[in-house]
Amino acid sequence: MCGIIGCVGRDERTVETLVHGLEKLEYRGYDSAGIGVVGDGLSVSKTAGEIEALSQKLSEQSLAGTVGIGHTRWSTHGPPTDENAHPHQDCTGRVAVVHNGIIENYQELREELTAAGHRFSSDTDTEVVPHLIEDALEAGAEPEAAFRSAIDRIDGSYAIGALIEGTEALFAARNDSPLVVGLGLDAEGDGSAELTGDGPYFIASDVPAFRDYTARVIYLEDGEFARLDGGVSVTDSDGIPVEKSVETITWDAEETGKSGYDHYMLKEIHEQPRALRQCLSGRIDELGGAVDIEEVGDLSPTGVQFVACGTSYHAGLYAAQLFNQAGVPAQAFLASEYASSPPPVGDDLVVGITQSGETADTLSALREAANRGAETLAVTNTVGSTAARECDHALYIRSGPEIGVAATKTFAGQLAALNLLSLATVEGGRSRRAVVPALRDLSGDIQHILDDSAASEVAEIYADSNAYFFIGRRYQFPVALEGALKLKEISYEHAEGFAAGELKHGPLALVTPNTPVFAIAIGDGDAARKTVGNIKEVEARGAPVVAVTDGRNDAAMYADYVLEVPETHPRAAALLANVQLQLLAYHIANDLGRPIDKPRNLAKSVTVE
Amino acid sequence: MSVRTAVVLAAGEGTRLRPLTHNRPKPMLVAANRPILEHVLDALIEAGIERLVLVVGYRRNRVQNHFGSSYRGVEIEYVVQYKQLGSGHALLQAADTVSEPMLVVNGDRLIEASSVSEVMSAFEEGSAAATMAVIEHANTSRYGVVSLDGTRVTEIIEKPETDEFRLINAGIYAFDETIFETISETPRRSGELALTDTISKLIDEQVVRGCRIDGLWVDATYPWDLLSVTSEVLERGRATDRERSDGVWIDDDARVHEDATIRPPVAVGANCEIGPGSVVGPNVALAANTTVGANVTIERSVVDADSRIDHASTLVDAVLGQDVHLGVGTVIPGGPGDVRVGREVHEDQPLGAVLADRVRVGGNVSFEPGTLVGTEAEIGGSCHVRDRVPEGAEVIR
Repeated sequence: MCGIIGCVGRDERTVETLVHGLEKLEYRGYDSAGIGVVGDGLSVSKTAGEIEALSQKLSEQSLAGTVGIGHTRWSTHGPPTDENAHPHQDCTGRVAVVHNGIIENYQELREELTAAGHRFSSDTDTEVVPHLIEDALEAGAEPEAAFRSAIDRIDGSYAIGALIEGTEALFAARNDSPLVVGLGLDAEGDGSAELTGDGPYFIASDVPAFRDYTARVIYLEDGEFARLDGGVSVTDSDGIPVEKSVETITWDAEETGKSGYDHYMLKEIHEQPRALRQCLSGRIDELGGAVDIEEVGDLSPTGVQFVACGTSYHAGLYAAQLFNQAGVPAQAFLASEYASSPPPVGDDLVVGITQSGETADTLSALREAANRGAETLAVTNTVGSTAARECDHALYIRSGPEIGVAATKTFAGQLAALNLLSLATVEGGRSRRAVVPALRDLSGDIQHILDDSAASEVAEIYADSNAYFFIGRRYQFPVALEGALKLKEISYEHAEGFAAGELKHGPLALVTPNTPVFAIAIGDGDAARKTVGNIKEVEARGAPVVAVTDGRNDAAMYADYVLEVPETHPRAAALLANVQLQLLAYHIANDLGRPIDKPRNLAKSVTVE
Repeated sequence: MSVRTAVVLAAGEGTRLRPLTHNRPKPMLVAANRPILEHVLDALIEAGIERLVLVVGYRRNRVQNHFGSSYRGVEIEYVVQYKQLGSGHALLQAADTVSEPMLVVNGDRLIEASSVSEVMSAFEEGSAAATMAVIEHANTSRYGVVSLDGTRVTEIIEKPETDEFRLINAGIYAFDETIFETISETPRRSGELALTDTISKLIDEQVVRGCRIDGLWVDATYPWDLLSVTSEVLERGRATDRERSDGVWIDDDARVHEDATIRPPVAVGANCEIGPGSVVGPNVALAANTTVGANVTIERSVVDADSRIDHASTLVDAVLGQDVHLGVGTVIPGGPGDVRVGREVHEDQPLGAVLADRVRVGGNVSFEPGTLVGTEAEIGGSCHVRDRVPEGAEVIR
């Protein structure tokens, strides 16, 4: 996982544009960064550390040029060092390359190049690319042809940007890694920017990198090349020009600013009421008891397999329950496992859940399913993402950009969208009439929690514990898993989620007076009654208990503290309980002084398998 | 000396508007489905302000979450006033952020772009230490009154006992950056720093210019004022949902049943639903995601986001907070009524009832005119409610 940015036609603002873009991409990696520019010559500046370190270095070293590339790195091959930072160069220093992805055949290429006399200065897979370009240039190829011949040699996933000295152009290619092209200075997106004209032009791993400059983009497909100079020309792998459609981004650059909050994560937690209104907008009709989603309107699956990773997998577990309740067999799979050992797919619909739409594990699971003839659906936040384009159908969660590495509002959006999917495709009028009002109540109910939550007080009390356990049943089981994941991601504390009934089959041995147990007990039904029984089990072992409850059961009686959620349908209550646990994780991590938006070793969307 | 920066004071709760301000500061109360503060920022941007500094404090999440990092392309910076110790203290929080001449406005009063422009040009022309807008107002006793000698301000008196004054402080000021120092030098009164005390100090020492304005200037002091504020905004055509016919603004994502009747002026926000047989208007604003059932009548009322009004209810002169649920057959028959605010009783006010955020009302409940219901109160079926219901109270018959 890394982020790349490039621009042409920014003249004296080239370096400023690149650094600004890298700051916006920092969520994709932040252990080293660098930029390269072509002007009179080619120059490169790069360093280990966050982008601030690069800015510091640039303040001492002036780079000038009209075409530039930049990179922010999250290490996969080789530790974060100055040498391993991108851009990488060839032996002569005439070529500079930035790359996101993994070159699978780099070892053999490196051996071949070394044997031919090339000297490598880094441990990265990327460095083979500039040397391959160098070879082709030596052999007399034109710059563009040299770039193409180098790309032809590599296998694997890549979004690549390259500069070649003496050529005021930026070369780009993509395969299995995201890459978008931005057109002109048209932040309003009113259509004044075109494929050829005055420019400037941008490339980036993700739109926020250049969103302040333009809303007009084209999405590159796998195997395509782009050349940016006085215009953008896109060609396929055979060099034949491809006609691209220009799309307009509808969200604002402001949505990617921190707007007075200490962390993106807290901002995004607070954005959930609005994000859910957007998710549901125009898709439900409470008075008519109807759910209408164009994208999936004609589906009527007889079985569903969900494939996802991390937080999205928890959304998959939740969704599988919705379909099972409706009488449609459904199962959630970890995408990495699914891709390695796929189950029989039969006539099942395979649903990939991925916020970014670029999660490599989820993409390969979806491809595996498609190869076996399955119909596929992507549930994603990212229009134009690989998952959205490759699947037969796409259902957008419309949460708006999420920058914090720990997913918050997009998990809420996934749960809401998966409810819509189930209501629209397999559930009957009765459950629609029961669930749709609860979905419409979500934004008000979540605002209620945000206004009144006691999570920061509870966090302060337990911030110094040995471990944290989360238990829940039925719809609240995935929430328990998610609560634990959130806490471990951002606080670095040991946290585990269990199905409440599973506790006594082993994990209970871990429970001590210094391991608070967070128990989610919703409603007055069987699930809640049994969860209250499990609360008594841990209480008897001396563990402090925090109940997340709507007060319709006895959980509060046995709990040391209570995090309240408003009464609603148990399906909707899962989203509410989750908000309390998000706030809890945030406040514990904050009390411990963790870098909440950039937890160690983690990156926002994981584009390697 | 041109002014491009505005500091907007949006940190105060507005205690006289309780219980509506339980979860948000006064500037975030809605006027025709948009926070008052949004109307204020519109006026500033239309007058040419290029940089916005918002002083936030009480329930600041609500402001930051609503506006984000910029509004209409103008960057917003936030500074925090952790304790609300007066308007001067609020402005002082911007001292490290602003180092140029600035406009200062209250975030909780509706103003016009032309008023802002007039203050800006009066300040830019003259050599006064400060320029402030003054306006004629009928209710001078609620505000600071101002005496003028020509264009020079000679005196400010807070909330005078007499009615002999006609001009009030309109809460739009222009200062240069030395104001921060002057505020720091102003003695505190009972721990608080009022901006008007600093201006009084400037009046004694230097020249303060008064700039008379006569455009729209609306302030909500008490909960029932929100009804007239919304009516004013609707009558001036300042709603921003899509105008479908004269005086009818309905968002594209709202669903209005074909058998419902809309009587202008009415504003209906995004994702609202209005059921068959309902009659909505005149002078009604329904904010986003509000559900109105069948055969509901709503007249001269303001309903905030995420609320639900069940079938066959009647609302006249009602002010509803966010996420209020009214059961079938709720009746709020309208003012005038006597309203108790603090220790005062305001007689014959045009108010049906105020229901604060998350009030839950069972079926067949009726409200005496002038009733105030606190946040999260629960009112059981078939009750008749009057006077005040405290926050979180449970009312049963």
